[in-house]
Amino acid sequence: MKRLRGWWLLAAVLAALPLIFPGNYYVIVVGASAGLFAILAVGLNLLMGYAGQISLGHAAFFGLGAYASAILTTRLGWHPWLALVAGLVVTGLIAYLIARPVLRLKGHYLAMATLGFGIIVHILLVQTGGLTGGPDGIGGIPPLSLFGWAIDSDERWYGVIVAALLLVVLLALNLVDSRTGRALRALHGSEVAAGLMGIDTAAAKTSVFVLAALTAGLAGSLFAHQQAFVSPDSFNFFVSIELVTMVVLGGMASTYGAILGALILTFLPELLVVFEDYEVLIFGAILMLIMIFLPQGIVGGLKDLWRAARRRPGKGSQDAA
Amino acid sequence: MLLEASGLTKSFGGVTAIADLDFGVPEGLVYAVIGPNGAGKTTLFNIISGIYRPDEGRLNFAGQDLIGRATHRIARLGMSRTFQNLQIFFNMSVLENVMVGCHARARTGLAGALLRLPRMRREEEEIRQWAGEALDFCDLGGLKDRQASELPYGALKRLEIARALAARPRLLLMDEPAAGLNDTETLEMRGLIGRIRDQGITILLVEHNMGLVMRVSDRILVLDYGSRLAEGTPAEVRANPRVVAAYLGGEVHYAVE
Repeated sequence: MKRLRGWWLLAAVLAALPLIFPGNYYVIVVGASAGLFAILAVGLNLLMGYAGQISLGHAAFFGLGAYASAILTTRLGWHPWLALVAGLVVTGLIAYLIARPVLRLKGHYLAMATLGFGIIVHILLVQTGGLTGGPDGIGGIPPLSLFGWAIDSDERWYGVIVAALLLVVLLALNLVDSRTGRALRALHGSEVAAGLMGIDTAAAKTSVFVLAALTAGLAGSLFAHQQAFVSPDSFNFFVSIELVTMVVLGGMASTYGAILGALILTFLPELLVVFEDYEVLIFGAILMLIMIFLPQGIVGGLKDLWRAARRRPGKGSQDAA
Repeated sequence: MLLEASGLTKSFGGVTAIADLDFGVPEGLVYAVIGPNGAGKTTLFNIISGIYRPDEGRLNFAGQDLIGRATHRIARLGMSRTFQNLQIFFNMSVLENVMVGCHARARTGLAGALLRLPRMRREEEEIRQWAGEALDFCDLGGLKDRQASELPYGALKRLEIARALAARPRLLLMDEPAAGLNDTETLEMRGLIGRIRDQGITILLVEHNMGLVMRVSDRILVLDYGSRLAEGTPAEVRANPRVVAAYLGGEVHYAVE
């Protein structure tokens, strides 16, 4: 159980918050929004933080999931859950198809290719008006329902999104601490050595890319039903950048760090609203300061401090080995 | 022969790194490849482990043709290696580094990992045990919970060996295992190479430290400009006038300390 201590703690806190602050706007509404971004960040962190492959187009998969649910339910009258599953299949398939050619690239080239993909998807959402509603988007998306309960209040959405987040976090924690997860981290550490240890690096990259895309697709479907409305602007280039920032800010290669990054980047603008015109300025300054003083991200920086503190007293004898 | 090369040729933009090279590595021996800097030793290693594809020639390992095989498929045939410039997974712990070495011995896939099925958990225990044994074998047992990035250079060299051994290879390629080590560490490395050989693992060794090469090797291949200058037992190679001539200028002495 030690392995999942953090997960149980997270589950307890997320369950307790709405009970302690009933009806609180920041917990229920902003919290649910942060939860969706946390799902996205945890998925992207598998690709970026653990496997070391950058994606500047991750919002595209978020959008694909959202639009699949929106189109299938409003235009074709599909059942929302069926549409969600179909959305995942479509998102996963598209990710699989672009993964091999794109992930052959490294560093800046991979960044450019994923950036291009994100922009193409955004343009398609805007331009194929007959299907996607163009810049105006699609409204009137029906709510999800669970065992006959319509998920139609902010409180219920909080519950659904938190449950989805906990599931995604659990799967991510399981993955990282496994043969496949070690293969991904090895890929990050040294791709040459990973290959020579018998790891099929191309297959490993493809599977983590598809997994990250599926997580984003899930978040997209939930987002579409929660908002009852989707438009291309929710999935543009800036959202992709924001997702990358969440992962880097919280601490690469840390699932809890990704959640923390999502929380900060969702809550900070809300809290900075009081500064009116200076909001963006302060926001930027905070990000810069964190990156300058905690280049490992917040969780990474704290881990380093913890290790240094634990090393100092009494444990010096091991260093001689 | 466990590993057999014939007519191996590789050039980079007009520069011939390996030229029509023939050699064979018998099973169970320590087989060293020596030669001046730029003689093509590391290129040869990179061809054998599948990083480079040769322009011409044949390469057989345990009866399997290696040409055109991806590195991970070659590794799964039972070949492992270490690197001249360390290729440690610095983002992982010492134990995890070696657990990656066990990759090809285990089989849990993505679904098993995500759901953490009982069979997967049993396999994890096995992997942990294999990795622990490899670490103990290389005298790294006490450091297994450290981050790899915290280890000193000498320990990192042994960590690469432990990781390669965790794959339980038939052939181990060692690229300059003693480079950068002090005299004591070099002596320990000599002992370690001997212990690996005693496990029945064939070793292909590239090394500049002639004292070490002459003591641990059963056979030596001398390369010069990518082709074979001499081949034989340490005594034969040492007495070969062509080898002596190639090394004139005193860059290397065969003096055994």
